[in-house]
Amino acid sequence: MSEPGRTAIDVHDVQLRLGHRQVLQGLHLKVAEGGRLGILGPAAGGKSVLLKLLVGLLQPDAGRVEIRGTDLSSGDEKVLMRVRRDIGMLFQNYALFDFMTVGENVAFPLARRGDVEADEIRDRVEARLRSVGLAGSAHKMPSELSGGMKKRVGIARATIARPALVLYDEPTAGLDPVTTQKMYDLLSADQEETGCTVLAVSSDVKALMGFASELALIHEGRIRYAGSSSEIADSSDALVRQFVSGSEDGPL
Amino acid sequence: MIGEGLITGIGRGTMAAWRELGGITVLTGQVLRALVPPTMDRPELLRNLYRMGNRSLPIIALTAFFVGGIMVVQAGVLVRQLNAAGLVGWGAGYAIFREVGPMLIALMFSGRVGSNNTAELATMTVTEQLDGLRALAIDPIRYLVVPRVLAMTICLICLVILGDIIALYGGALFAMLVLDLEYATLHYSLVDNIGWLDFIHGVVKAGVFGAAIAMSSCYFGVSVRGGAVCVGKAVNAAVVAAAISIVLLDFFLTYLLP
Ligand SMILES: Nc1ncnc2c1ncn2[C@@H]1O[C@H](COP(=O)(O)OP(=O)(O)OP(=O)(O)O)[C@@H](O)[C@H]1O
Ligand SMILES: [Mg+2]
Repeated sequence: MSEPGRTAIDVHDVQLRLGHRQVLQGLHLKVAEGGRLGILGPAAGGKSVLLKLLVGLLQPDAGRVEIRGTDLSSGDEKVLMRVRRDIGMLFQNYALFDFMTVGENVAFPLARRGDVEADEIRDRVEARLRSVGLAGSAHKMPSELSGGMKKRVGIARATIARPALVLYDEPTAGLDPVTTQKMYDLLSADQEETGCTVLAVSSDVKALMGFASELALIHEGRIRYAGSSSEIADSSDALVRQFVSGSEDGPL
Repeated sequence: MIGEGLITGIGRGTMAAWRELGGITVLTGQVLRALVPPTMDRPELLRNLYRMGNRSLPIIALTAFFVGGIMVVQAGVLVRQLNAAGLVGWGAGYAIFREVGPMLIALMFSGRVGSNNTAELATMTVTEQLDGLRALAIDPIRYLVVPRVLAMTICLICLVILGDIIALYGGALFAMLVLDLEYATLHYSLVDNIGWLDFIHGVVKAGVFGAAIAMSSCYFGVSVRGGAVCVGKAVNAAVVAAAISIVLLDFFLTYLLP
């Protein structure tokens, strides 16, 4: 499915204006196939916008977005649809379909493909829900779930079809520390099994540093740090150091 | 100064109306393109047909029954004065089939089903469920909008046919109770004077109204921006737009159709 060595995500000098705000101002990002990148940064820095750009839900005003060798900037629906079939995405606000049960939500990416047997779908949904700690919740409606539970249903839905690229927007927001660790363990295990490329946005700096060896920090629509997670604390950039240490003194 | 404000206001309103009309036209184009060849979600279509029909049947049956009654009671004065009992069946049938049936039932349908549909789609839009579908390589127009447009159009046609029949029987009942007319008088007055054309005239109108309600209701649902407050505004705009289009379309169709 994935070819190591190839570039999975190539974002080149992207500019994006939304409303009256220049949200992304010359953003560069590269992730190799099978890689794992953690993205952090202060609120409203453009992290969620970046993820939406990567699935073609937003189009850049200038610059280029390439996913596994396909340029998304043309905005051609057919191209987008083809690329999206290999992507799993967890939205920051879950985006669960509220007219379906939890089980149907998780089954949706498989059911839509049309080539998976109903029995297999049921088994895989059950297994996926069990692995996110929600065994037996398949018949519930999303409105009956807590925020943390919705998040985990979102993770299950994003990963069930074993996509080549998975984008997680705040996979552990609203989860307690123990469940957070369990979720990151699950994301790691998933990636080892399928060899997919993973991009995870999180404001939980510590947990993210444990999960991803490569980190990128986005601030006001630009990458302020890109490099290994072990060296981020010693960055020459005072803003980066302040964000990672969480201290109140500094440029932020 | 007041005049100037008024003119700016009218100008802005007109611009907004044209923008929405443009948006509805674009969405209609997308829906039509998705229909040839018909690539929509069949379970979604059936689910919506069932839901929409079920939801609106009681209220439409009730309205139709009393509309038939009102027409006859109103006609009663003339009938007594002119001694024109032989015209009641024809008059009621003509008005119900061609005008009152399609128009009133469409307005009720818009208030009951159209508004609900806008609220549903708008909520899905602001909670990013449409983006969620797109991210899963599903086109929300094909998956959500097309089945709803079809379901609403088919539903309204069926409801108008059913409503016509109920209104006629309601009218007959009131004519017998209030005007002391014989059932046979009403019956022959209707079947001797009313043809298939009158019936089809109304059914065509129902189809057009159904599509218009569906398009405006879906458009305001999927084009909403912002949060929960905007959902209410979208519902409001959809119902108003549907009512205006029903009245305008009715005028043109009455003029154009035989
Ligand atoms: N649809 C939109 N229209 C206008 N502005 C938007 C839109 N989406 C996002 N923005 C703006 O873009 C900026 C970046 O938003 P984004 O959601 O990417 O932040 P973020 O980094 O994910 O923050 P958080 O950590 O709080 O989730 C914000 O200032 C936001 O107001
Ligand atoms: Mg965000």
